[in-house]
Formats: sequence, structure tokens, C-alpha cells
Amino acid sequence: MSAAAAPVAAVRPKVDQDAAPWRRVPLVAVGGTVLAGIALPLVLARISIGDYLITLLILFFMQAVVAQSWNLIMGYGGIYSFAQVALFAVGGWTTAVLAHSLGWNPFIAMLFSPLVALLAAVGIGLPTLRLRGVYVVLLTLAFHELARVFAVTGPRFISGGGYGLVSVPTFSFGNAVGQQRTIYLYYLAMVIFGIATFAIWRVIHSPLGVAVTALRDSETYAVSRGINQFRIRMILFAISAFFTGLAGGYMTHYNGGISTSVFDFPRLIDLLAMIVIGGWGTFAGPILGAAIIIGLDQYLVAIGDYRALFEGLILAGIAVFAPQGLWPVLRKTYDRYLGPEPPGPPAPGLPAPAQAVEEIPEIQRGGGLS
Amino acid sequence: MSTQFVQAVWGGVLFGSAYGLMALGLTLVWGAVRLLNLAHGALFVVGAYAAYWVVAFLHLPILVGLPFGVLAAAAFAYAMHMVFIRPVIGKPGFDNSTLVATVGISIAVSAAALLIFNPQYKVVPPVLSGSTIVAGVQITYQGLLVIGTSLALFAIVYLFLTYTRQGMAIRAVSQQTEAASLMSIPVVQTYGIVIAISGALAGLAGVLLSPSFFLSPNSGFHPLIQALIVTIFGGLGSIRGALVAGFILGVFESFVEVFYGVGWAQPGVFVLIILMLIVRPNGLFGIGEVRRL
Repeated sequence: MSAAAAPVAAVRPKVDQDAAPWRRVPLVAVGGTVLAGIALPLVLARISIGDYLITLLILFFMQAVVAQSWNLIMGYGGIYSFAQVALFAVGGWTTAVLAHSLGWNPFIAMLFSPLVALLAAVGIGLPTLRLRGVYVVLLTLAFHELARVFAVTGPRFISGGGYGLVSVPTFSFGNAVGQQRTIYLYYLAMVIFGIATFAIWRVIHSPLGVAVTALRDSETYAVSRGINQFRIRMILFAISAFFTGLAGGYMTHYNGGISTSVFDFPRLIDLLAMIVIGGWGTFAGPILGAAIIIGLDQYLVAIGDYRALFEGLILAGIAVFAPQGLWPVLRKTYDRYLGPEPPGPPAPGLPAPAQAVEEIPEIQRGGGLS
Repeated sequence: MSTQFVQAVWGGVLFGSAYGLMALGLTLVWGAVRLLNLAHGALFVVGAYAAYWVVAFLHLPILVGLPFGVLAAAAFAYAMHMVFIRPVIGKPGFDNSTLVATVGISIAVSAAALLIFNPQYKVVPPVLSGSTIVAGVQITYQGLLVIGTSLALFAIVYLFLTYTRQGMAIRAVSQQTEAASLMSIPVVQTYGIVIAISGALAGLAGVLLSPSFFLSPNSGFHPLIQALIVTIFGGLGSIRGALVAGFILGVFESFVEVFYGVGWAQPGVFVLIILMLIVRPNGLFGIGEVRRL
């Protein structure tokens, strides 16, 4: 029993490149983006409004993390969770309490935010994720409301007397002050953004992600193929909460405090607008959306109170008339004019790839008034 | 019978009627159109502000403001249907689109209310003023009016759906859209009518309830949550369910409030609803979950 019994090395079957288009992401593009991200603050630091732009980018990174996490459950998972801001707040409060009341180092304290947010997500998920649609909307909104009430009226070390926690220690990078410190803050935000984006990318393109999409598109079929709906949703929700909590922790130390105004409805709407405008259920949509909302915001300050009015109308308009958002449009344009040639027709002799499955009409939902 | 007990019962019946009133329109729209109208709170605000406008700027009595508010909310709901709901009826992604669109509309309404009026709390005068004391508890006439209106509206909506031609058309559409359209019932128009009726109900609730809840641009949020809770508790799309659930939740909340303090009322209700969803996932009078969103 030597050669014959030698354990066969587990060879992963090579994934067909055409069947897995996501594997064709050019390393150059990723590397270039990362390098640009690293170089950007060094360049921006030399221009007069550079500091301001760097802060905007930090804001963008964090909002994009939260929007991406939300899109993961809402766009891909089809779970209408409105607990996103509450989970962000859970992350923020965790680190704020640890750093403020116990005097922990912000860097250490921040590591606990995603974990506590994850626990909170499991807590919300257990009763919620077995339900569907409208029930999820209600229970997650209820969690949002309960978290808000608790943050306002809870014990003093949490509520800070009703306004939230102020004077939470901020990040300190050695003796760096002023612009140097902003640049370090930028890098930290970028690392968080990078980790979150990569993780979400991996999740979407893993068997888990495929299962999620299958559940969203045809629940009955997916379940009948042996996908455990509750477990998949739970894992997805936990991942989403993890990164949301992390962003919450970062923002708390970045701002040096967290106030109960994070629960304000407009914040939730901003995030929703990022997802919807960028592209619901697409990978890059929320990132694009975050860039657009944060960029536009600087101009929209001038119109003040009209901002919310326009935002609401644009949100409604896009949801109804262009439900795919902007990203698919951009993508199509890129593919048409700049993208690589699409793979040619299959070589003769090979079976033609299966044509798109004929669309199965949705089963008429009964129900009705009683 | 202690004063506290009477207080709790009165508060419970009053809350219950108010919740039922708010939930009625929501459950109607869900049952017939399968639309989760997250702008229901916005309709509430539209009705209340319209009535306020009539009273404060035109100096007319609230009895003129009340029908004006109801009509304004109904018209707004119908406009919402024409612009944002109708284009996606029958298309894939109806749920996503309408969910986001109705959230967008409610934001726009709050923002518009903030621009037209100001953020200060407004007082809409009650339709009936005055009160009487029963067993040491103040019973307002407005409260009695709310209870009466709520019960009457449930009866009217029930009779309308059961016996009138239009009501039967609505039920037909809600049960079998395709069969109904084959019987030449104008489906989309029926949807519009249901949405307008639900708007009128929300507007009426807005005018009648805002004297006790005060009115600000964001007043719609709380009633929306309450209406959602009641609707889910009672069973989505069920009109009896909304009535019964409204009273159960109202009395429960009131008793918790009177005997354990205001702070426990909301958490208590949420615990109750979670328990309810575990025991009966479809609510009190719900029809099978499989058939829903």
C-alpha cells in the first residue's frame, strides 16, 4: 500500500472561463486602482482644498461600505431589512462605550464593533429572517425604533443624557497632526473599504452568493434544490452587519462621538438612494451611488431644504422608471465602446450553449381581501 | 373599578380605534393591489396638513377642513398611483420598485410639508371639543368621535366590499386578477380606486387623530409603523383582522402604559408581535403565507 493508496491530491476542477466571467478581472485594473488610492492623498495634499477632498473621500469610503453591505442583503438577498442604520449605530456605540467609559484604545475598541453588530444581527435575524417581505420591513423598522429609543433613554453610559456620546477619543497616529493625520485616517478608511469590498465581492461570487441569487430569483426552485434558505440568509445578514458595524466603529472615532441623530430617517434614505441610484443588486452600483450622492451633496447644500424633496422624487422616479439604476447603463456603454471583444461564436462541433431558459410565468398569487 | 383600570380601558379603546383607522387603508391596499404602501403615513400627513391649511389660512371651521383633508389625501393617493404605481403594475420587480418609490414619496411629502409650513408643531382643532368625566377619567368627545368613526368606517368598507358592484370588482381583482380582467373588469382602474379610497381613509385618520398626536412634517412615521404592526398582527389584507388587532394592541398598550409606565408600551407591543408571528405567522385572520410577497 504505497503508490496506489497515496491520497489523491484534491484537484479543483478548472473553472471554465466563459462560465465564470468574474474570474476575468484584470489584475492591472485592480492594482492600478489600489495604487491610485494610495497615491491620491499625497497628490491632493498639495492642493489648497486637498484636505477637504480627502475628508470627502473618507466619507465616501465609509458610506460605500455601509451601502454595499445593505445592497448585499437587500439587492442580492432580497431581504427588505431596514435595520442597516441601527446596526451601524450598534457598531458605533460599542466602540464608543468601550473607549469612552472603559478608556480603551480606539484601535482595539473598534475591533469589537463588527462583532457586536454581528451578534445584534443574529438577534434580529432569528425571528425575522424566516419571514418574508413586509414582515421583514416591519420587524427591522421596529428594531431601528427600539434601538433609537434605547439610545435616547438608556442608561447614562450609553445615552449620554439623551444626545449620544460626545468626547469619544479619536484615532491618534503617533504624533501626527493636521494634514498628516488626515492622510493616515484616509488610509485606514481605505483599508476598511478595500477589505469590505473584496469580501463582498468574494461572497457574491461564491457558492453562497449564487445560492442567494437563486433564492431571490426563484425561491421555490432554489429551496427544492436543497438550499437552506434560513441559514443562507442568516450568514448573509451576519456578513452585512459585520462590515456595517465596522464602518460604524470607524465613523465614531473619526467624528469623536456618536449622536442619536444617526437614527434620523434622512440618513437611511441617503443610503437607500445610493443603492437605488447606483444599481440595486449590482456589485459596483452602491459604490457608484455613494460617490454620486456624496459628490452631489456638496452642490445640493445650496438648495437646502429642497434637497430632501428632490431626493425623494428622484428615488421614486428611478425605482419606477429605471429600476436597474445607473451602473448597468455605464457597464453597457463600456462594453460597447471600450470593452474587450465578446467571445466569438462556439467552435463548430461543440454543442451550442444552452439558450436562455424560457421565462416561467410567475404563479398567480391568490389571497385577496377577506 | 379603580380609576386606573377605567383609564386603561378608555385609552385602550381609543388607541385601538385609532390604530384600526390607520390600518384599514393599508390592509385594503395590500389585499387588493398587493402594494406595501410605505407612503401611507405620508397620506396621513397630507390629509392633516390640508385640514390645517383650511383652518389656519382660510379661517374656516374644521368641519370644512375635514372633508377637504380627506379629498386632498385621496387625490394625492390617486396621483401617486397614476405616476408611480401604474407604470410598474404587472411587471417583474413590482415589489422592489413600489417599496422604494413609496419610501421616496414619503420623504418628498415630509420635505414639502417642511417647505410649505414650518417644522413647528401644528395644532389641528378637534372636530368636537369638550369632555366629560366618567369614574374619574376624562372622556373627550373627540375621542368618542374617533371610536365611532372608526367602527362606522369598518362597517362601511365591509358593506362596500361585500354588496356593491364596485366592491365586488375590487374583491374579484384581488382574488384572481386575470379572471377578473377576462370578465372585463378594468383592473388598473380598480387599483386606482382602491388606492384613492385608502388615501381618503388615511386622510380622515390624519384629520381626526392629529389633534391628539400633534402635526409636524414627520408625523407620518409613527402612524405608519402602528398601521403596519396592526395590519401584520391582524393578517395582511384582512379587514376584520385590522379591526380586532387594533383593539387588542390598543388595549394591551394602554394597560402596559398605565400599569408599567410609558417606556414599556412600545417594547411590549413589539414583543407581543414577535410572539404572534411565531405562533401564527400569518396574523390573526391571515390567509396562507405562501401566497404572499
